[in-house]
Amino acid sequence: MDARRHPEGMSPAEQAVAHERIALAKAGNAEAWGELYRQYAPAIFRFCRRTMPTREDAEDATMDIFVKVRQKLSQYDASRPFSAWLYTVAANHCWDLLRRRKLRQDLETGEVEKMPLEHPDPGQLEQLIERRTGQEMRRALDKLPARSRMALVLRYYAEMSYDDIATTLGVRRTFVGVVLLRARHQLREILEGQGGAKLAAGGAA
Amino acid sequence: MNHFDEMACLLYLEGQLDPARSRELAAHVADCAPCRDLLHALQHETILLSSALTEDNESMPARLASAQVRSLPSWVWTLAFGAFAAGAYWFWTDGIGPWFDQLSNAGFGGTDVFSMIVFTGAFWEGWSDMIDAMQIGALILVAIVVIGWIRRRLRRSVAIAVVISALLFALALPPQAGAAEVRRGRSILVPVGEVVHNDLIVSGPSVRIEGTVEGDVIAFTRNLTVTGHVTGDVIAFSEEALIDGNVEGNVRVFSRDVNLQGAVGKNVTAFGRSVDTISKSNVGGGMIVLAGEADLDGKIQRDLLGMVGRTDLDGLIGGQAWIRGGSLTVASSAEIRGPAKFEGPQQPVVEAGAKLASPIQTEITQERQRTRRSTARVAIRAIFGYGGALVVGILLLVIFPGFFRATLRETDSIGLPIGVGALALITGAFLLVLGILLLIVGIGAGVAGVMAYAPILYVAQVFVGTWLGNKIMGQPSAVTSAVVGRMAVGLLILRVAGLIPFLGGLVWLLVLLWGTGAVLLGFYRTSRAESAPNAPLPA
Repeated sequence: MDARRHPEGMSPAEQAVAHERIALAKAGNAEAWGELYRQYAPAIFRFCRRTMPTREDAEDATMDIFVKVRQKLSQYDASRPFSAWLYTVAANHCWDLLRRRKLRQDLETGEVEKMPLEHPDPGQLEQLIERRTGQEMRRALDKLPARSRMALVLRYYAEMSYDDIATTLGVRRTFVGVVLLRARHQLREILEGQGGAKLAAGGAA
Repeated sequence: MNHFDEMACLLYLEGQLDPARSRELAAHVADCAPCRDLLHALQHETILLSSALTEDNESMPARLASAQVRSLPSWVWTLAFGAFAAGAYWFWTDGIGPWFDQLSNAGFGGTDVFSMIVFTGAFWEGWSDMIDAMQIGALILVAIVVIGWIRRRLRRSVAIAVVISALLFALALPPQAGAAEVRRGRSILVPVGEVVHNDLIVSGPSVRIEGTVEGDVIAFTRNLTVTGHVTGDVIAFSEEALIDGNVEGNVRVFSRDVNLQGAVGKNVTAFGRSVDTISKSNVGGGMIVLAGEADLDGKIQRDLLGMVGRTDLDGLIGGQAWIRGGSLTVASSAEIRGPAKFEGPQQPVVEAGAKLASPIQTEITQERQRTRRSTARVAIRAIFGYGGALVVGILLLVIFPGFFRATLRETDSIGLPIGVGALALITGAFLLVLGILLLIVGIGAGVAGVMAYAPILYVAQVFVGTWLGNKIMGQPSAVTSAVVGRMAVGLLILRVAGLIPFLGGLVWLLVLLWGTGAVLLGFYRTSRAESAPNAPLPA
């Protein structure tokens, strides 16, 4: 587990410090809250950066999320990992924002269920994703419809459970897998398109 | 044997298959190369996704580096801006008027220093420059608001490009294309027969409206003469204003001399050293006069409200009259149809033959009353001053958090800032004297340098107040709302302490020196620390 994403995935001693910090912040200690903020803000900013369309949106969302977190801190159940709770708040906030915008066209749920899932050729898939840089992947992710991108970020960045993803995106739990798989297929299509363009460019040169 | 589909493989990898099916798949994969390859490919994809998403490719923006500024509840803004606006309004209506009054009472005539500074000479020549400066300032303000608004929707570069091109466009536009017609020049004349089908904004040493303006006239000028017809309002800032035509709307004039000879459809607000209306003039509505002396020979169909040093009343007042000032003379030709009230140091003189609906109710203003009144005024001033300081503080905290923190740190070391502040004050006083000298000699620009010192004086209390709040309410906080709370408490204490006679003056002096020094040091430190990333938070 990446310590930057899930900062309390650390040694027990550090965990104890983190727990105390959360408890202090809960009790209204501004200093502890500041620490907590500094600890988690980069991860949340990156989360927003991955889900929101622009950097400015991500900055605004990060601020708003921490305002919300601070207000809701008393509701946090200490038996759960703090980062999981934080990501739930962040995910709900960002998803709300996206939904309120005019991204509705790619939010329809109906088609998820009847999507044909072709069985890919493993060799082709390997070839497609081989030697892909992180930047190429991110560029492709940016082109995904909002919900597909959101689903992938929730799962592979925030490492949220299928249950939490289902709640956040408002789909039945059994369809979370479908949403994720569909998102991967869309991503592959985009990568394929990029690869084709790349090949064509290479041929011309 | 049946292959497992991609869905099942993904769920298996993610640990979402039920145990029985999971075992089944594991057993199948052991023998089936294609399914094993698919599983590997999917896992590879997962790893790639995960690393692409978590890669630290972008640093966090500076504005997110420390605790947030958004936690300020909206009512604070509303309240603060409300107080600020009310303060500004009060200052304009209540602060400046009586001041003029007092000045005129004290015998400053048309050639007095104040009039010379404000309305004539070098400063006045600079009016059109001032208007340019004001317009540029307003444009910048609008641009900032627009940038803030657009930024939420567009990328920064796009937003800046949009705003800059909009600005260039606005600047490139001929003035006539605006909602109002704008004219500038040494001498502006709307001749007889010309009809301006628009609002007219004019600036220049001399403005004559002899034709017709179908809209408002807004004039910044030395000599304004309206002999024509204006269907809207006339708003003028001038040295001499003569309204001899027909104005269907309101007349609001800020001028040294106001001369009303024509007809005004609605109300008149006149603000100046002397205000004269001749007997053929007619005001359809009421009239408010703030002046050194007023000679009212014309007709006012409704009420008259005056704060005037010396009032001569010869005409008609259709409604009630309320006049405060030095003296009131009601001539034999005068008529007041409503109740009349006069507040002043001496009894009004009412000549025989004057038609009054009722005797003038007179209140002789005495010292005791004056003190009570001025106590109320001091209290109001303190409340608005408090609101204003709080607004300035919040704005500083939100817009320049780095500077705010740096200055607050400087405030904490008491001796140094007080020393620096004292030095600055002496320099400032020297500059002030120099500026006034320059002004009288004739170089209006000299005042600008001195003006720059005024905001610092105002800001000084913010930091001393916040420091005080921190001392009283415990350790300083990085959270905005908490800082604002401490600032509010500290400023309140300063205000209250400042109201104490004599001691209050000392308190203000101390605040002034201390805060000014801290602000200057804060400026210095912030400009020096610009290159150093992430200045540490105050301990």
